[in-house]
Amino acid sequence: MDHPADFRDLFDNAPCGYLILDNRGRIMLVNETLRSWLQLGDEDLLGKRLLDLLPVAGRVFYETHFAPLLRMQGYFHEVALDLVGKDRVRIPVLANASQRVDPDGKVEETRLALFQAKSRRKYERELFDANLAGEKAREEVESLNVALTETGLLRDEFIAILGHDLRNPLASIGAGMRLLAKEELTSKGRQVTDLIEGSVARMSRLIDDVLDFTRGRMGGGLNVDRRKEDELHLHLEQVASELITATDRQVDVDIYLPKPLFVDAGRIGQLVSNLLGNALSHGAEDTPVEFSAQMDGASLVISVSNGGDPIPSEVVERLFQPFFRGGHAAGRHEQGLGLGLHIACEIAKAHGGTLTVSSSIERTTFEFRMPANEA
Amino acid sequence: MSIIQRNNVSVSGRGEKAIVFSHGFGCDQNMWRFVAPEFEEDFRTVLFDHVGAGRSDLGAYDANKYGSLQGYAEDVVEVGQALELENAVFVGHSVSAMIGALASLKAPEMFATLVLVGPSPRYIDDIGYHGGFSQTDIDELLASLADNHMGWSMAMAPAIMGNPDRPELGEELADSFCRTDPAIAKAFARVTFTSDNRTDLPYVTAKTLILQCRDDIIASEVVGEYVRDHISGSRLVVLDATGHCPNLSAPREVVAAIKDFV
Repeated sequence: MDHPADFRDLFDNAPCGYLILDNRGRIMLVNETLRSWLQLGDEDLLGKRLLDLLPVAGRVFYETHFAPLLRMQGYFHEVALDLVGKDRVRIPVLANASQRVDPDGKVEETRLALFQAKSRRKYERELFDANLAGEKAREEVESLNVALTETGLLRDEFIAILGHDLRNPLASIGAGMRLLAKEELTSKGRQVTDLIEGSVARMSRLIDDVLDFTRGRMGGGLNVDRRKEDELHLHLEQVASELITATDRQVDVDIYLPKPLFVDAGRIGQLVSNLLGNALSHGAEDTPVEFSAQMDGASLVISVSNGGDPIPSEVVERLFQPFFRGGHAAGRHEQGLGLGLHIACEIAKAHGGTLTVSSSIERTTFEFRMPANEA
Repeated sequence: MSIIQRNNVSVSGRGEKAIVFSHGFGCDQNMWRFVAPEFEEDFRTVLFDHVGAGRSDLGAYDANKYGSLQGYAEDVVEVGQALELENAVFVGHSVSAMIGALASLKAPEMFATLVLVGPSPRYIDDIGYHGGFSQTDIDELLASLADNHMGWSMAMAPAIMGNPDRPELGEELADSFCRTDPAIAKAFARVTFTSDNRTDLPYVTAKTLILQCRDDIIASEVVGEYVRDHISGSRLVVLDATGHCPNLSAPREVVAAIKDFV
């Protein structure tokens, strides 16, 4: 390669495009490689500016970014450009540039080496699009989440308001029934008022459950007011006897709570009521339900158990979830909303305790256990 | 964060009167590195980065505020207040020319003299107005910024590092150029190239010099003449320099023209 003709050939047929600009940025020399990419001849190119080979957007970007950079540091590397060739065909390239300056720092020449970058540009664009798509998908998920949360909150609020508003007319019905029951009634009439009073009591419990549930969900948490309680045993006995008188089933009650406890007696009563109600409607009719409340060392332990078919393990997992209803209740009309065990569980948590279930062929037992040393 | 830190303001020079240099789209205060030092003898020189550019506080970037040139003009006035500027010279390049014009309307006593380098009150052609770009051109520009910026951030970063001939440029430059956040750059491009400040020009009362390059594809000579015709008493000087950045390509000519005027 010591002959000038060889260098000339290297310039012309190099495996990259060459472009030399004069001190005013006009094209002075183009090699054959670049002419063939552009499908343009010297007559189209000489005297033009580099900008004339760029689309409008590229010109603005070049003038505002790459030209300043070139002026400031005398070169740039790996700049992505689109050249516009014959018939407006675009040729994506990567460009390196360097400047030759005279001793005064004035630019004499700018030299550019250009490499085709079609596949690379395509790859970059795919990466960019994938990024964009990912970002979009993330935003969609986010907005769906927000919508879901909003819908959920709205539903809870709706249920809370509805439940609250149902209480008043229900109280009027109850009061009306009690008035009516004082009247002279036929035995048929008496039967009807008793039935209605029972229904009012059941509906009232359902509403209480729903309100407890929505309050828990809406961030307020279950309303639990714990205080030093001397007479929890009396309270639990009353709850049990109310349920027992309404059934002809055998219930063995064993309560021994000699010391005061730090609890919300109403809520513990509710827990017992839910567990007993559950046992009476799901347990086998020919075996007794057992209810006990005692101290086990420093813990208060309340357990309710019944005979009958064991609870399948896949059901056990979902037992304490809201709105879950086991399959084999006595009658569909006897079923609640599936909130009883969920609320019992929340009451247990609010007392720093646990509610667990064990189920075998012999018996199914729910056990509430809480540390009682605070009182 | 103070205004000074927010806009990466640097002050030098020994003069009484202040001269503020404001960079345009695509660069930062480095744009003035061959011009500003020439004024240190006679002026207090002030350089800064617009929020989103260079070493400004990116955390201060507010898409709403900087969704119009007014937001940038407010910053200029705040910088002026922080430095207690009065009767100062504002030199704005490219889009900063209009930012300066808006700032002088907000605080006429702060900036009594404007030097507008390659100004354009509107880049997109309109009926009876030649801005130099069609709406389609600008749409394409905004759409293509994503491509270019990717090339910029991924491929340019290592290349800018270090310059054996001018070591002082190396890291500092890389630092600021690489910090151009693509989302902010795109927003700034949109604000710049869709701006229309033609109706503001007649209200400008500052003593105004317009420096116009030949062969400037971003702000052509026709646009420079339009600005001259609509700011009363303004003077248009056409430089020998070509392109959009005479502050880099012909700093001596720019310095001489400004000194001659102020």
